[in-house]
Amino acid sequence: MSTGCAFGGDLTLALRDVEKHYGELRVLEGVTARFEPLRAHVLMGPSGAGKTTLLRLLAGLERPDAGEVARGSGVRLGMTFQEDRLCENLTATANIRLPRPRLSGEALERFLAREREAMAACGLPIDARPVRELSGGQRRRVAILRCVLAEANTLLFDEPLKGMDEKTVELVMGFVAPLVAERTVLWTTHDERDLRFFNDPILWRVEGGRVCTC
Amino acid sequence: MAASRNRDAEKGGRLRAWAVRLVCVLFWLAVWELAARAIDARIILVGPLEVLARLGELSLTGEFWASMVLSLGRIAVGYVSAVVLGVVLAALAARFSPVRELLSPLMGALKATPVASFVILVLLWVSSRHLSVVIALIMALPIVYTNVLEGIRQTDAGLLEMCDVFAVRGWDRIRLVYASEVLPYFRAGVTLALGLSWKAGIAAEVIGLPDLTIGEHLYDAKVYLDTPDLFAWTLAVIVVSVVLEALVTRAMGWAMGRWEARP
Repeated sequence: MSTGCAFGGDLTLALRDVEKHYGELRVLEGVTARFEPLRAHVLMGPSGAGKTTLLRLLAGLERPDAGEVARGSGVRLGMTFQEDRLCENLTATANIRLPRPRLSGEALERFLAREREAMAACGLPIDARPVRELSGGQRRRVAILRCVLAEANTLLFDEPLKGMDEKTVELVMGFVAPLVAERTVLWTTHDERDLRFFNDPILWRVEGGRVCTC
Repeated sequence: MAASRNRDAEKGGRLRAWAVRLVCVLFWLAVWELAARAIDARIILVGPLEVLARLGELSLTGEFWASMVLSLGRIAVGYVSAVVLGVVLAALAARFSPVRELLSPLMGALKATPVASFVILVLLWVSSRHLSVVIALIMALPIVYTNVLEGIRQTDAGLLEMCDVFAVRGWDRIRLVYASEVLPYFRAGVTLALGLSWKAGIAAEVIGLPDLTIGEHLYDAKVYLDTPDLFAWTLAVIVVSVVLEALVTRAMGWAMGRWEARP
């Protein structure tokens, strides 16, 4: 299944001497990191270590207090947040398609077929219910599919499998892993077992305000 | 099997609710009829049966329907204008804070001022034929504006961040995210504003007395102490109000259901 992504252009994703504080709380201190394009980067660390802040800085949702966040002009982002962030009144397919709002005619039909295939592969019901009527686990899968089916070459995942049972994790990752294989992936997790989903991932440790490769 | 049982239970519950409602209505109609018979003075109170009979007589005249159409048409023009204007102003107020600040006292004044004051004032500015249009607009505008603005302000900031990340901007953001979030507020606003516009529009007609309107007939009934007419026209106003509200609620529910069910 093609992701339909354009992989051209500058895909740089880097932090240079980045500091980020929330009031008195120092989350990141003098962080310098360069994330190699088209590779999987797994970021591990204890809760509150700054993994989410790091992703938010890279996504442009936060500004660093000092230092610089570099994002290449060719970077097209997709993200799965810690929360589902779904439009409650829309169906699962409409939510998954949200990053591709201009599809129409045949292109729309093709993408709808692709969405249904993806949903079936991830064990999601295909019906006309708005997502507010789905269970927590189903909503999580919709959020993941929105990210991986987006026309994006850089995907940020903030603990995407949190709270999912082992069987569902295997089902979802069986579909998602091949789709993200040739894209830049930043994946935060507490679970080292997540490493098995990626081919030769780079493991990063986020702790004590520092970010380093292991 | 379980689903079928649930559907049956739901249907049974609805029937019970309707039966209880009907019994309550019949109780108050009986009280009304008994009170009319006890008072036994048609100029003070007429019973529901006589009112219904008079309404039936009125409904056989062309003047009745012409008055209904004229009143309804004018008030509808004011109401629809208020809905459109309310949505546009709310969108502008949400986007530009000076617009919000500027409109805030105006909307506050529109909400707080008694409708009778507006009717008398507006009568100085426009002809009585257009009075109900303006009054319906004035009554509905602040409600639609406030509700839609609140809906926009309550839009989940997390969803807007998600749009930023996925580069969903402009019109796409409005139709996919804001519309989805604001629609329940919009629905509540237009339903509430509908009843207010209708009642205020009729009240304006009673004071402005434009020809061939419900308000004019209500005024005539008062002047000639024609209590059966007064009750009959009032009943007609109530029936139209209930029917309109049911129609708008159902139409909005249907439209929302279709919109939500899009694949």
